[in-house]
Amino acid sequence: MWTEIANGFMAGFQFIINCGPTVMLPIIITIVGLIFGLKLTQSFKSGLTLGIGFAGIKLVLDFMTTNVGPAAKAMVERTGVRLDALDVGWGSIAAITWASPIIAFLIFAILAVNIVLLILKATHTLDVDIWNYHHMAIVGIMVYFVTHNVFLGVGSAIVMAILTFKMSDWSQPMVEKFFGIPGVSLPTVSALSSLVIAVPVNWLLDKIPFFKNSKFSVKDAQKYLGFFGDSMIMGLLIGIVIGILAGYDLQQVLGLGVSMSAVLVLIPRMTAMFMEGLMPISESAQKWSESKFKGRKLFIGLDAAVVVGNPDVITTALIIIPITIAMAVVLPGNRVLPFADLAVVPFRVAMVVALTNGNLLKNLIIGVVVTASLLWCGSATSPVLTAIAKSVGIKLSTGGSLLISSFAATSMIQSYIVYFAFTWKPVIGIPVLLIALAGIWYFFDHVKRINKAAEAAEAAMAEGK
Amino acid sequence: MVKHILVACGNGIATSTVVATKIRQYLAKEGIDADTTQTRLTEVPGKVASYDALVTTGQFFGETSGVPYIAGMPLLTGIGTDAALQQLKDALTN
Repeated sequence: MWTEIANGFMAGFQFIINCGPTVMLPIIITIVGLIFGLKLTQSFKSGLTLGIGFAGIKLVLDFMTTNVGPAAKAMVERTGVRLDALDVGWGSIAAITWASPIIAFLIFAILAVNIVLLILKATHTLDVDIWNYHHMAIVGIMVYFVTHNVFLGVGSAIVMAILTFKMSDWSQPMVEKFFGIPGVSLPTVSALSSLVIAVPVNWLLDKIPFFKNSKFSVKDAQKYLGFFGDSMIMGLLIGIVIGILAGYDLQQVLGLGVSMSAVLVLIPRMTAMFMEGLMPISESAQKWSESKFKGRKLFIGLDAAVVVGNPDVITTALIIIPITIAMAVVLPGNRVLPFADLAVVPFRVAMVVALTNGNLLKNLIIGVVVTASLLWCGSATSPVLTAIAKSVGIKLSTGGSLLISSFAATSMIQSYIVYFAFTWKPVIGIPVLLIALAGIWYFFDHVKRINKAAEAAEAAMAEGK
Repeated sequence: MVKHILVACGNGIATSTVVATKIRQYLAKEGIDADTTQTRLTEVPGKVASYDALVTTGQFFGETSGVPYIAGMPLLTGIGTDAALQQLKDALTN
């Protein structure tokens, strides 16, 4: 009898998967919502909102590849600039992540990691921002896709989660000092990941007084480079340039410009539906965890969006954006055509700026190294990402030659390292990764005692009871 | 008259959705007719002039063209939420 039930369950599960993400998402998210204690109607509306968001992303991506695909192809043929992995943006990647059949397991695994680490007092960060889990989950999804092994998939997401919570602990004193936000840490992989490169490079640069004491500054960056921060204008300009390079006539060039501008403005609108749908679930998780960990002094994990408005971050980002475009063309081996994620460059440099304490010269040097890593890791993993996108029903209507990429997912060095360890000879890769993680953990927590202020505050609170 | 509130965060998606939703719920309860528009911080200077109030989820140092500015971080952390909402209400009703 049990085998029949199991078979029935598997058949049902398979049926749901076969319906495609627009049907699967509402069902899965409704169930997740119910587990988090939402009412059925509320949970169903959350689920349906995500389904709608996915349908929207699909429309925009289809529109984008139909328009830019042939142009990119023509550009490659005419100029020899081989940029055939179109950056579709982190929002599209997040949508693909939420549309994976194993997403529910990954979300609960990541949440469980946070709760277990908190109970063991191994982290100070309370991160129940379910939405931002997509950065950790995508690694699990990619590993699962390549290895067909659920355990490796979930395992890699768990390692991503541990790394993320620890890195947000370690960066908290720096974030508090530089951005002036006490009691908050930023477990957002898109910002934290840059530290993997920034910390060693910064250490090296500090050996040279010229860099360490640099007072280099750029005045009025916002005034002259501000248009690099405006999606509409950026989309228009990039579209026009690609059109010209593709040898289009004036009508086609202008058409492509407006289409690309539309894509850059529309993708975030669609992505916001995901956020909206997931909000009630996140809120419910927050209420639950706050009641569980009352009496603990914890950092509230927030999205790094709260610090990217800093003027040093904006200045650095506005200078890095045009450099990114130039690097994409000249960097050997790069295939990523930077586009949608130029809008989130501030996230990639925010932690760097805090680390150097606003030293612009060091920010730019580190920013260039980080950008190179994004382009290379993005190029290396774009075929897998493209295959996953196709598997969840995103049509890339350009004859199959176009790849997709982004500055999120495994383009980020932290995610790339974990993905690499779990897919390239996991028997060697995973132990090496875990030993390295343990070593770094020991160094920051026990040698440098980087969070000793938080430890003391918590000990004082425990004594006061 | 409908009040227009510009809500900005790093990418115009994540934290601004949380804050905008909380603002709409609060203002509906207070009987103030308002709508919210979400945007990215870097796009605030070009947009803000035509709005009745600006709320950002993080630090903001740019030009607000004289539009009242309210820090939205309390609506994310839950610490000081009521004061921030009151401040917004005052800015809209005065």
